[in-house]
Amino acid sequence: MPIIEVSQLGKDFSAGRALVRALADVSFAVEEGRFVTLVGPSGCGKSTLLQILAGLIAATSGEARIDGERICAPLPNKIGMVFQDPTLLPWKTALANVEFPLDLRGVDRAARRKRCSALLELVGLSEFADHYPHELSGGMRQRVAIARGLAQDPRLILMDEPFAALDEQTRTRMGHDLLEIWERTGKTVFFITHSLTEAIYLSDVVLVMSPRPGRIIDTIAIDFPRPRELDIIGSEAFGRIRNRIWHRIAQAQA
Amino acid sequence: MGPAVAGYLTFAVVLFGGWELVGRLALVDADLLPPLAEVSTLLWRFLQDPRFLADLGVTASEVAVAFLIAAPLAISTGFLLGERVHLAEAFNPVVHFVLAIPQSIFLPVFILAFGIGFLEKVLFGITHAYFVIVVNSFAAVRSIPPPLVSAARVFGATRTQVYTRIYLPAMLPLILTGLRLGMIFCIIGVLLAEMYASRRGIGRLIFTWGEGYQIPELLAGIVLVSVLTIAVNETMRFAELRVGRFYARASAT
Repeated sequence: MPIIEVSQLGKDFSAGRALVRALADVSFAVEEGRFVTLVGPSGCGKSTLLQILAGLIAATSGEARIDGERICAPLPNKIGMVFQDPTLLPWKTALANVEFPLDLRGVDRAARRKRCSALLELVGLSEFADHYPHELSGGMRQRVAIARGLAQDPRLILMDEPFAALDEQTRTRMGHDLLEIWERTGKTVFFITHSLTEAIYLSDVVLVMSPRPGRIIDTIAIDFPRPRELDIIGSEAFGRIRNRIWHRIAQAQA
Repeated sequence: MGPAVAGYLTFAVVLFGGWELVGRLALVDADLLPPLAEVSTLLWRFLQDPRFLADLGVTASEVAVAFLIAAPLAISTGFLLGERVHLAEAFNPVVHFVLAIPQSIFLPVFILAFGIGFLEKVLFGITHAYFVIVVNSFAAVRSIPPPLVSAARVFGATRTQVYTRIYLPAMLPLILTGLRLGMIFCIIGVLLAEMYASRRGIGRLIFTWGEGYQIPELLAGIVLVSVLTIAVNETMRFAELRVGRFYARASAT
């Protein structure tokens, strides 16, 4: 059974008197353990889709299921999330931020500390456990946010353009490290980005979304062997996939 | 903290040194500006005088009661306005109108309505403190980044947890600023009411000494009130800074 099943999902917003159709008839499935990326132009409704999957907003039509369960509220046991802003609590240390989801659930301090220290180590920030967010760089904050997303040991991690605000070098490095974390934890990752390169480099499957109203217009399996090296980005095969996605989006826009 | 301490010391030295110097050099008539030593001795004596302390106590209790009533009322109002956009649209202009009016002009109305006494002082203190705390609490609610709330919800925060774990700490710095300003306004209101018409209180004493040309007493009163209000303000500002240090670059997170 796929871990994410989305069928005929639609979402309308009312903007003043006008009705804006953000998503129209979106259907796809994500198999467990996969790294799947949804790529599309800015404003195509990718983030809206992710917010529906996270249980933050309700769909207008159709349905979305996570692990067989229909989503109508956040499912903290099944879904961890990493946002575009790190959304760390400024008054808590890095470690306390990672612990926050467990803290909300009332997990006792010692168990929390043990698990979350290990997660900070996984993202390479053991030495910064006692630092406050404003003392960390943008990339480090996003690492803390990734560790926090893993805190409840969910099977699925949703990532909403997590590296969009970082400079290109940090971004590339973070992508590389994310793959390593993904390979070690075996989670399913559903990732959103508008960067075609990032999408292809990271994923097993790339879903291509059209400009608004968002629909899935292409599904591409990416077969580059893993663990992946950054060099593949310059390869001919990589370029062909890039062009294919580019043309699909451009066609849909016309 | 270093430069600030130097600043305080310089200020104190210039103020009190200048005062003493003017007295010693007889630059100003000693009746108009009695020497620092005389005023300090007088102040010391006041602090051992039960009647004086009773007056001070009256003022302090008026301020305390007014503040303790105004603060929770104002914080809840600000919170409600911050959470309910329609209420804010309707009432924010009203709050700003009221803030623009010098509230002192309403003092005669307060006296006509409530007489002269504890109740009138407290009510006048409340109206002084209320609006500035409302404005700050409203800003505090609006300062909460919505993504923090979304994140907390995704991680399973209940409604109560969102309020206690996100809202409260996120709002704290601006709430504290509001409370500090509210306290200052509250003291202004109470002292004003005492000076205008009263039988008791430090404000009344200061006014009477001024009218009676009792300059040493007047100066002693002024120095005491200044020191006390500075102490209150600095204590609250200390709390504010302690809380605020996490927020130095909170917008960047």
